[in-house]
Amino acid sequence: MTGEPTLRLQDVDRDEALLEAVAELHGDTRADFLRTAVIGSGVLLAALAAPPAASAAVSDTQILTFGLRFERLQASFYTEADRVGTVGKMDPRKQRWAEVLGEHERAHVRIIKKILGRKAGKRPFFDFHGVTESEDSFTRTTVAMEDLTVALLAGVTPRVHDRRLTAALFGLLTTEARHAAWARNIVNSTPAVRSFDEPRSLSDVSRTVAHTHFIAAAPKMTRKRRKPGFTG
Amino acid sequence: MRLRRLLVVAVAALVAGVGGAAIGAHSGESTPGPAPVAAGVPQPVAPAFTPGHPEPLRAAPYRSSYAPVRVAAVARSAPDPGARVVARVDATTPEDTTNIVLVLGRRADRSGRLWVKVRLATLPNSRTGWLPRSTLGGYGSVDTRLVVDLRRLTATLMRRGRPIFRARVGVGRPQWPTPRGEFYVRNRLTKFAGPTYGPLAFGTSARSTHLTDWPDGGFIGIHGTDEPQLLPGRVSHGCIRMRNADILRLARLMPIGTPLTIA
Repeated sequence: MTGEPTLRLQDVDRDEALLEAVAELHGDTRADFLRTAVIGSGVLLAALAAPPAASAAVSDTQILTFGLRFERLQASFYTEADRVGTVGKMDPRKQRWAEVLGEHERAHVRIIKKILGRKAGKRPFFDFHGVTESEDSFTRTTVAMEDLTVALLAGVTPRVHDRRLTAALFGLLTTEARHAAWARNIVNSTPAVRSFDEPRSLSDVSRTVAHTHFIAAAPKMTRKRRKPGFTG
Repeated sequence: MRLRRLLVVAVAALVAGVGGAAIGAHSGESTPGPAPVAAGVPQPVAPAFTPGHPEPLRAAPYRSSYAPVRVAAVARSAPDPGARVVARVDATTPEDTTNIVLVLGRRADRSGRLWVKVRLATLPNSRTGWLPRSTLGGYGSVDTRLVVDLRRLTATLMRRGRPIFRARVGVGRPQWPTPRGEFYVRNRLTKFAGPTYGPLAFGTSARSTHLTDWPDGGFIGIHGTDEPQLLPGRVSHGCIRMRNADILRLARLMPIGTPLTIA
């Protein structure tokens, strides 16, 4: 974490949407541990990616719900970068890359939402803290985000009970791996760093991921107010 | 001899598989039924789902963004830490909701620090200022706009440029006029002690220019009423009144953060 702000999951996951998903996968004790884990640390990222200890207790729906949160995070990230004009200012090669990845992530969200139906839950409120608003921070964070997603899918896919769902998640995993390689190419980094992707070894991307993957508390904009102060 | 026979069978099976694949490849989608597969070679497991075709992000000419104020800050006249202070911006509203600001633009200063141009809920009305990006939370967005016509006494909600709601309204009396300008809807309140505001009220960034000493700053609300017989008309202290059925209908259609034009 050289020189970067230290953030704990509880600092950014104020409505505990992410913790809730982790707790579903790993149990309360693990969630309590994660509450104090440092965002971006290898420990946290490995814990997020690691297959749960009590795998028999984890349903396919819980895994899919967990996956949806990350797909929503990614989709929102690319969409925001596009909407605030960052993507439009990039050179055509990068622009095409950011647009395609955004299209893919939004398609992933749509299909997982459809599969989960009512269990999909509400979209969390995201706060990217300005990361989407500069090309440099956007592209660097994308590398971390895609690498993280690959590691997550590599960790959870073997735990899925339904073979057809496993097959579908493999389809997502290979696509995300292509995204990760493409993102690394965009920032002139080696697309394939190692000969084997360890689901639990994410320390190489932890610094880049720090303070960028944010799920925040939604603003409170509705209140019960017995005597409002409007002029009437 | 037996081994030779086995080899022949295996080669025949492979040829059949390759041939089948080649036939499938040449005939394309017009070939009915699955492509032939060598006996004993398993088919891939059919995935439980496949994502649909990727779709480009749609153009959103009617979209506008807002952001919650994360920490109290001062808004400046330019994206520069040395620029003149134009207003202090709190993290909460007088109604104890998260304070939000309408996002109008963004720029980095010479040091690379990001600033966001926002519409403020201060007097003079319709004022804008620049806040450091770090003082704001994540962006929300809406594709609606509310237009209040003070001459025709109407409120019209537009979604993606098309009207989806219209109602007759009450506005400020001549001595307490409803202010004109560009504003936004910043909260929604319910469960009132009395019937004056009806069942629901929206708080806006607009402020009365005449009732400046009103408790909580004289903010203009959009709300129901216990005197529907007065509508439409110039009957209020500046607030925009609607029949209760209309305000409830509006509440189903209008998200917080909606820009508001009073003209």
